[in-house]
Amino acid sequence: MASAVGKIPALVSTAITLARPKFNIFMKYARVELAPPKLSEIPQIKAGIGKLLTSAKTGAWKNQTVKQATLNALVGAEVIFWFYIGECIGKRHIVGYDV
Amino acid sequence: MSELPFGPPVRVSPLIRFGRWSFLGAGILYGAFHQSRLSKREEKLREIEAKEKVIRDEKLKKEKAIAAAAEIKALEEMVAKK
Repeated sequence: MASAVGKIPALVSTAITLARPKFNIFMKYARVELAPPKLSEIPQIKAGIGKLLTSAKTGAWKNQTVKQATLNALVGAEVIFWFYIGECIGKRHIVGYDV
Repeated sequence: MSELPFGPPVRVSPLIRFGRWSFLGAGILYGAFHQSRLSKREEKLREIEAKEKVIRDEKLKKEKAIAAAAEIKALEEMVAKK
C-alpha cells in the first residue's frame, strides 16, 4: 500500500509528460475551431442568422436530405449544450443547484 | 500547422462559433441568476424551519413527559395490585 502511494507522483508526472503533446495538438485545433468570433466576422454572422430566419420562414429547412438534416440537428444540439456548460459554470456545481 | 495529425483545422462557420460563445455566456448568466434566486428562497425556508423546530421540539418534550408519567403510573398500579 505504502509503495503504491509512493508511486503516485511518478505516475502523475509520466501522465503529464505523455499527455502534453496531445494537449498541444488539441490546443492548436482549438485555437482555430473554438475561437470566439472576431468583430470582423459580424457581417457573416448576421448573414447566417438571416439565412436561418429565411429558411424558417419559407420552409426551406424541410427541403434537405436526411444526412444534411442529421448533421444540422447534431450541430444545433452541440451549440445548445454549451448553454448547459455555461449554466454549470454559473451555478458553480455540476449536478443540481447547491443551495 | 504542418505536423497536425488530423489535417488542417476545419474552418468552423462564424455563426456556429458565435452561437457557442453566446450560449455559453447566456448559460453562465442564467446559472448565476438562478443559483442566487434559489439560495435566497432556501435561506427563507431554513429560517422558517428553524422557528418551527423550536416549537416542535417543545411539543415533543411535553408529550414525552406525559407519556413517561403515564407509564410510571401504570407500573405503580400494577405493582400495588400484587
